[in-house]
Amino acid sequence: MEKFIDRLIRDFESGRLGRREFCQMLGIATAIYAAGGPEANAAPAGRGFKGLGVNHVSYLCPDYTKARDFYSSTFGMQVVNDKGKGRANLAFGPAPDKGGNFLVVHNPGANPPKTSEAVIDHVCYTISNWDEGKVRAALKAKGFNAPTGRDGSLHVYDPFDYDVQIGNAVQENAFRRGA
Amino acid sequence: MESFYATKLDEFAKGKISRRALLETLTVAATTTAATTTAGAAGAPDPALKVALINHISYNCPDFRKAADWYSKVFNLEQVGATKIDVALPFGKKGEKPFGVTANDVPLTSLIIRSRDLNAPPQGGAAPRRKSQALVEHMGYTVADFDRERAKVELKSLGVENVRDGGLYSLHMTDPFGYDVQISGVANNALSDGA
Repeated sequence: MEKFIDRLIRDFESGRLGRREFCQMLGIATAIYAAGGPEANAAPAGRGFKGLGVNHVSYLCPDYTKARDFYSSTFGMQVVNDKGKGRANLAFGPAPDKGGNFLVVHNPGANPPKTSEAVIDHVCYTISNWDEGKVRAALKAKGFNAPTGRDGSLHVYDPFDYDVQIGNAVQENAFRRGA
Repeated sequence: MESFYATKLDEFAKGKISRRALLETLTVAATTTAATTTAGAAGAPDPALKVALINHISYNCPDFRKAADWYSKVFNLEQVGATKIDVALPFGKKGEKPFGVTANDVPLTSLIIRSRDLNAPPQGGAAPRRKSQALVEHMGYTVADFDRERAKVELKSLGVENVRDGGLYSLHMTDPFGYDVQISGVANNALSDGA
């Protein structure tokens, strides 16, 4: 932590970091330190990086306002940095400044997206305190009368027919695959 | 706590405290606050559909083994539960909690890397998969101790292609299937990104 703060101060001194950014970053670092402890966040001893998780999902769609409204009203994501300029961040999980995930919903830019042989065909979100009856009732109230999947793991489509999965820790857990 | 940081930073900027004093004060404050934050964060009630974290990203490509090896190498991820068409790469070890999460029923986020025909006819009378108008055009991952210049060197030594700057706090690169991957530290977040 001391090393990290030392680097922040250096960036502040050199003008690379503003006062606001300095305070935000230190707040985030504190939260991360709290979550995992220094040993959990240290870089690996070998090569490569220690992957901590997903930072954000960059979601391109024809109308970001529709996506913004859908994800915020259906899944409780918090709208952040929406300046009405074709993009918004949708934060969830731990607070935005404490290591949470976010979905960047945005309209197409001037350049077409890069072509790739790979595709993210769906994103699955964990719901804590999963209650099957309440989850299904809540989906129905939002107009999803027939989600596919199984108890504890359901799929719906968002307004742009993107496949969205929600699940609980029992049904959707990498360490339980094949169990 | 951020106002405390701001106060101390102002004192330093005005020459009221030394750099050493600033560093020590902030380090103590940050690590002490950590304990309080952890203790107070548990138990907040969630509405039925409120998402807690990304559970997994379903990544489909022509050769899942090749992709999985690349992601394992770059992010130091284990491969678990392999089948003939896919494998899961959790961000952490079995029994660990995702960073920033205190709830006990939120599993580690995973990458599930697959090779499957997304246009295959559905089985059992299910409806065909809809063609989406939306696209996840890149993925951002958080890594520990991110330092942009050091990361560039490391990525180059790993043979990662098309490494390029993504602002002050991140780098973009291309995975073996041409997919755009971004890495950053915790400085890149919902508040700072696009601010």
